[in-house]
Amino acid sequence: MTWRIGVDIGGTFTDVAMIEEASGRIGIAKTPTTPDDFGRGVLNGLNEALAKYGLPAADVTLLSHATTVVTNALLENKGARIALVTTSGFRDVLELRRSARADLYDLFQDPPAVLVPRHRRLEVTERIGADGSVVVPLATTELAGLIDQLRAMEVESVAVSFLFSFQNSAHEKAVGEAIRAGLPGVSVFLSSEVLPEIREFERTSTTAVCAYVGPILDSYLRRLQAAANSLGLPDLMVMGSAGGVLDVPAALAMPAAAVESGPAAGVIAAQMIGKQMGQPNLLSFDMGGTTAKASLIDNGRVETTAEYEVGSSASQSRWLHGTGHPIRVPVIDLAEVSAGGGSIAWIDPAGALRVGPHSAGATPGPVCYGQGGTEPTITDVNMVLGYLDATSLLGGDLPIDYVAAEASIRTKVAEPLGQSVEQAASGIRAIVNNSMAEALRMVSVERGHDPREFSMVAFGGAGPLHACALAEELDVPEVIVPPIPGAFSALGLVGADIRRDYARTIYAPLEALTPEHLTAIWDDMAAEGRDMLAAANVPPERQVLLRQADLRYGRQAYELTVDAPEGPISVTTLQSLADGFHTAHERTYGHKNEAEPVHIVTLRLSAVGKLGQPHFAEATGDGNSQKAERPAWFASTGRVPTPVHDRARLAVGQVLQGPAIVESLDSTLVLQPGWQARVDDAGFLRLTRSQ
Amino acid sequence: MTDRTFDPATFEVVKNSLSKIAEEMKIVLAKTAYSPILKVAGDYSCGVFDVAGNMVAQGPDLPIHLGSMPDAVRAVVQVFHDDVADGDVFIHNDPYFGGSHLPDVNVVMPAFFQGELLGYTCVRAHWPDVGSATPGSYGAVTDIYGEGLRLPPVRLYRDHVIDRNIQAIIMANVRTPEERIGDLRAQVAANRRACQRLAALAEKHTAAGLKAIMAEVMDYAERMMRLMLADLPDGEASFEDFCDGDGILEDGETEDAIFWVRMTITKKGDTITVDFAGSDPKVAGPINAPLSVTASGVFTALKMVVDPNSLIPANSGTWRPITVTAPKGSVVNAEFPSPVVYANHEMSHRVCDMTFGALSQFMPNNVMACSQGTSAVVTFGGQDPRNGNRYVSYETIKGGTGARPGKDGINTIAAGISNTMNTPIEVLEMSFPLRVDYYAITAGSGGEGRWRGGCGAERAWTVLDHTSRATVCFERTRSAPFGICGGEAGAAAKIKLRLPDGRERALTSKGAFDAPAGSQVIIEAPGGGGYGASAERDPAARVRDAADGYVG
Repeated sequence: MTWRIGVDIGGTFTDVAMIEEASGRIGIAKTPTTPDDFGRGVLNGLNEALAKYGLPAADVTLLSHATTVVTNALLENKGARIALVTTSGFRDVLELRRSARADLYDLFQDPPAVLVPRHRRLEVTERIGADGSVVVPLATTELAGLIDQLRAMEVESVAVSFLFSFQNSAHEKAVGEAIRAGLPGVSVFLSSEVLPEIREFERTSTTAVCAYVGPILDSYLRRLQAAANSLGLPDLMVMGSAGGVLDVPAALAMPAAAVESGPAAGVIAAQMIGKQMGQPNLLSFDMGGTTAKASLIDNGRVETTAEYEVGSSASQSRWLHGTGHPIRVPVIDLAEVSAGGGSIAWIDPAGALRVGPHSAGATPGPVCYGQGGTEPTITDVNMVLGYLDATSLLGGDLPIDYVAAEASIRTKVAEPLGQSVEQAASGIRAIVNNSMAEALRMVSVERGHDPREFSMVAFGGAGPLHACALAEELDVPEVIVPPIPGAFSALGLVGADIRRDYARTIYAPLEALTPEHLTAIWDDMAAEGRDMLAAANVPPERQVLLRQADLRYGRQAYELTVDAPEGPISVTTLQSLADGFHTAHERTYGHKNEAEPVHIVTLRLSAVGKLGQPHFAEATGDGNSQKAERPAWFASTGRVPTPVHDRARLAVGQVLQGPAIVESLDSTLVLQPGWQARVDDAGFLRLTRSQ
Repeated sequence: MTDRTFDPATFEVVKNSLSKIAEEMKIVLAKTAYSPILKVAGDYSCGVFDVAGNMVAQGPDLPIHLGSMPDAVRAVVQVFHDDVADGDVFIHNDPYFGGSHLPDVNVVMPAFFQGELLGYTCVRAHWPDVGSATPGSYGAVTDIYGEGLRLPPVRLYRDHVIDRNIQAIIMANVRTPEERIGDLRAQVAANRRACQRLAALAEKHTAAGLKAIMAEVMDYAERMMRLMLADLPDGEASFEDFCDGDGILEDGETEDAIFWVRMTITKKGDTITVDFAGSDPKVAGPINAPLSVTASGVFTALKMVVDPNSLIPANSGTWRPITVTAPKGSVVNAEFPSPVVYANHEMSHRVCDMTFGALSQFMPNNVMACSQGTSAVVTFGGQDPRNGNRYVSYETIKGGTGARPGKDGINTIAAGISNTMNTPIEVLEMSFPLRVDYYAITAGSGGEGRWRGGCGAERAWTVLDHTSRATVCFERTRSAPFGICGGEAGAAAKIKLRLPDGRERALTSKGAFDAPAGSQVIIEAPGGGGYGASAERDPAARVRDAADGYVG
C-alpha cells in the first residue's frame, strides 16, 4: 500500500493530509503551527501522521508541501539583504512604483515598503532601445567597481534589471556572469531570466522578490528536505501559486512562484473532486478565520492571473495598486475579501451596523473562545444562532463560553439597534455573506460566467457554515462539501501535477508575425520545460506542454489569455488565436471588434508533468448519524429543534433534510431549511434545494 | 412619502453593493480603454447617481471629481428630465454646464427596472485630445472656444444604438479618432455593467426600496460627516498663496504674472464654511476654475482631515455640512467664456493644499504640509516617424507629499486630488517616438522640518527623429510647496528644454513649444513641504536620509 502526503501550514494548525493511492482512503493529522520555525511543525505533523496510521516512510511515494515562508518573509520584512542593479538613471524604479497611493484619504498612510534601501541600489551605464538595439553599450569597465561595491555591502543576493532586457538580454547576462564570477555564494537573479516581460517596475519587482526570499527559501527547503529524507521520506515537492508542484531546484530558480501556495492548493483540490465527480464547472469557496477566497474552475480549468501584489497588509480588493510587491508570475485567480470567522461586528457613530475589516484573528479570537476576545465576531454569531456546538469545538479540545458570546452580541449590537439577539446575529451574517458573495461574483458574473451553471465547493473551517446562504444569494444550484473541509487545501497537494510556467514578450500585431517566428519561441520554451520535467524524473509519456498567448486590441493595456490549438503552428493557428480573443473579449466585457487588429503581447508555455490523480473516498458509516439535537435559528422558521449529525457516521446514499447540522472534527455544515444533503458514492455531501 | 426605515443589515448590504458597482465600472473601463491615460494612468472616475443627479456612490477614483461629478449628471437631468428612456446614453464636457474641463468627457446612462428610472451612472474620463490647435488640448489659450470641442449634454445613443451623426461630429474634431472610439466604447460598457447591476438590486429590493436606500445612503454620509466634524476643534483661519501664472504673457510682461488665491475657513460645530473672498479676478489664460472644481479641492482636503480612515462613503450627502463660496468671475469661480483647462487639476491642487494650510492654524494634528501642488503635465504630440501614425502622449509626473505630524511625507507619489499612475517607460517608448533618459528621486527636494517633506521625481525625455509639439502644465515653479508649523518649503518645480547643440532654455510653467529631434525635455516635480522646526528632527533620521541620498 502506497501513500501520498500533503502538508499545508495554516495560521493556527499545520495540516497533514494523506491518501492511500489504491483505495483513495484519506487520513489527516493536525499539529500546531510553529511560526518561529515552520519546519519544526511540519516535521511534527509528519511524524504524527506516520505514527497515527502506522505507516512506514518507505511506503510514501509523494511528499508535497505548501509553504508560507515566502509570504511571511515579505509580510514581516524579514527577507535577505539584497542589492539591485539597474540601467543608469533608473535605480529608483522600485520606489517610484506606479506612483498611485493605496488609500485616497488616509492622511497617515505609509508608503509601501521597498525591498532594497536606496544605498543598495546601483547603476551600470548601458541602454537597450525599445526595438532591442543597443543604444548605449555596456560599460564593462564599471563592472569591477560594481562588484567591489556589492562585496562591501555584504549582500546575500542581487537582482539585476535593465530596461528592455526582455528585448535583448545580452547586457543583463554579461553583468550577471560578472557578479556570479566575482562573488561566488551570492545568488543572482536576472529580470530577463525571471520574467522576460514588458513593464519595468513589475518585472523588477518580481526579480527583487525572488532575490529577497530566495536565500530564505533555499535554507528552509534544504533543511526540510534533509529532515524528510532522514525520516526515509521521498524528495520534497513544493506547491506553486499557479496550482502545480515544483521540485526543490525548480522552486529555488523562481522563488516568487511559491507565494500563495496554500490557497492555490485548495483550488486544485476543488478541481480534483470536480474531475472525479464529472462536474467541470465549479466555484471554489474557502472561508477561514480572517479571509474568504473565491475562485472559478471553468470546464475543468483553473484560471490564473499575472496581476498580483504579495505582502500587502491592506485589505484586498480588485483595485489594489500600491499596497504590496507586484509579482507577474501566474497566480491562481482568487478574489479575496477580509471576511472570516474572526471578523468583528460593530456599530458606527451614525448608528449603522458594520462588519470588519477588523478581525479578532487567532488571538484574542472570538468571544466564545474565552481567550480575551470582547468584540462580537462571525464565529460568535454562528454560535448564538445555534449553528456551532455551544459546549466545545475541535472534538472537545476547545471549550466554549456561550454566555459571553451572547452577551457581547446583545450589548454591542442588538440593544443599540433595538433588535433581538437573533435578529442582530442574522443581520451580521447577512452583511458578511454579502461581502463574500461579492468575491464569488467577481470571479464569475464579472467575467461573464453564470453562477447557475456552477456547483460550489465549500471548504475551510467556516466555509460549510455559510455555503447554503451564499448559494441562495448567487442562485448556485448545488453545494459540494468535500471530505475534511478544514484541511481540504492539504488534499490538493497530493494530486497536483508538476507545473512550471514560462513566458516571452513579443509585443507585435498578430498579422506581422509568421508561424515560424512563434514556433521558434514556443519551441525554445518547450525545450526548457522538457529539461525541467526530465530533471524531476517525469517520463516523456507523462509530459504535457500547454501553449497560450496573451492578446489584446492594439491600443489596449490589458490582455486576455487565450489557448493556442495543439499541433504545428500555421496561419490557421494564428487566426484561431484571434478568434479566441474576440470571443473571450465579448464574454468578459460585453463587446468585441473583429475589424480591430489584434496584438500579441506575451507567449506562454506551461510544462506539466502528470502525476496521476488519486480517487478520493471519504470514510462513511452505518447511517446512524444523529448524535444530538439543538435549537438553531433561521430567518424563515425562527428557533427550531435541529438535528445534529456526525459526519463520520453518515452512510452512502443517506439523505438529510434541512434544517440540519452536520459536524466533523474541524468543520460544521449548516443545512438551511429548504435544502437537502445527499451522501454520494465517494462520501461527499451534495447539497441541493429541496423539491 | 417613502418608507425610510430599513433593516440595518439590508441598508449595509445595499450600501456596500452600490460602492462595489462603482468599483466594477472602473475595472471594465481600465481593461477595455484604448488610450494610455485611461488604461494605464487611470485618469477617470465612475459613479452611481439618483434620479436628481446626486452622487450616491463613487468608485475608488480620483478625489478631483468628488465635488464636480454630480453636476455632470444634473446637467443631463436638467436637459432631458422628461425624455429619458432605457437604452439612452448621453455625452457632454462643457465646464460651464456640468463639466470640469473639456478633456474630461462625461458619459451618462440612465438605469431602469421594469420601465422605472432608478437613477444614473456616469463615467468621466480624461481623453488625451479633444481638438484645439494643440495636440493634447493643453494650449495656453484665452477663451473656452480655443480649448477644443465643447459638447453640451446630447443624446449619443437611443435604444442602445449610437447616433452616427453625433459620433461623426465628435470624431471629426479630435486627434487619433480610432483611439477615442475605443475609449468611448469602454465608457459605455462600464455604464452598461453598472446599470445591469442596479436593475438586479431593484429586482431584489424593489425599485422604490432601492431608491429609498440610495437616499438614505446620502443622509447617512451627512450624519457621519457632522458627527466627525463635531469632534474637531472650532476655529477660523485665513490663508493666501500665489500661483505661478496663467501661461499668457500680456503686453509689456517679460515673465508670466503671478496671481493670488485667498481663503477663509470657519469651522463651527458640525459645519465648515470656506470663502474665497479676496481672490484675484479671472486671468486671461486657462487657469480659471469653475466653482465645482474649486469645491473638489476643498472636499478632498476635508475628507482627509475629518475621515482619514474612510468610514464615510464619498457621496453628495457627505458635503452637505460644507459650504464653499467664491466671488463670481474670480480665478476660483470662472465665468463664461474664460478658458479653464489647467484649472481642473492645478487650481484644485492649490485649494486642497491651502485648506491644510489654513486648518494647520487651529487643528495642527489633523493636517499635512503642502504637497507637490501640481499635476505636472507633460504632453508630446506629432507624427511617429517609425510608422507615420499621429500620436499624443500625456503624462503626469509625481512630486512628494507634505510632511505629517509624526511622519515624513511620501516620495514621488500622487498627492491630494490626484491619484493617477505613471506610464511604464517601456510602454511609453514602444508607443511613442521618445526615449526616457532618467527617472529618479530628486535628492534634497523634500522640505526640511521635524518631519521632512517627500521628495519629488526628476525625469528627462529625448525626442527621437522628429519634431514634437510638446506642452507643459505646471504650478509651483515659483510658489514652492509651503511647510507648516515651522517646517520649510519643498523644492519648486523646474522645467527646461535642452536643444541638440547643448543650449538650454528655461520654460515657463504652462504652454506649448516645439521640441526638435534630439532635444531633451527635463523636468523636476516639486518636493513636499516640511512639518515642524527643522532643529527638532530626529538625528537618526538625518543619518538615514544622508546614507540613502534623500537629502542634498
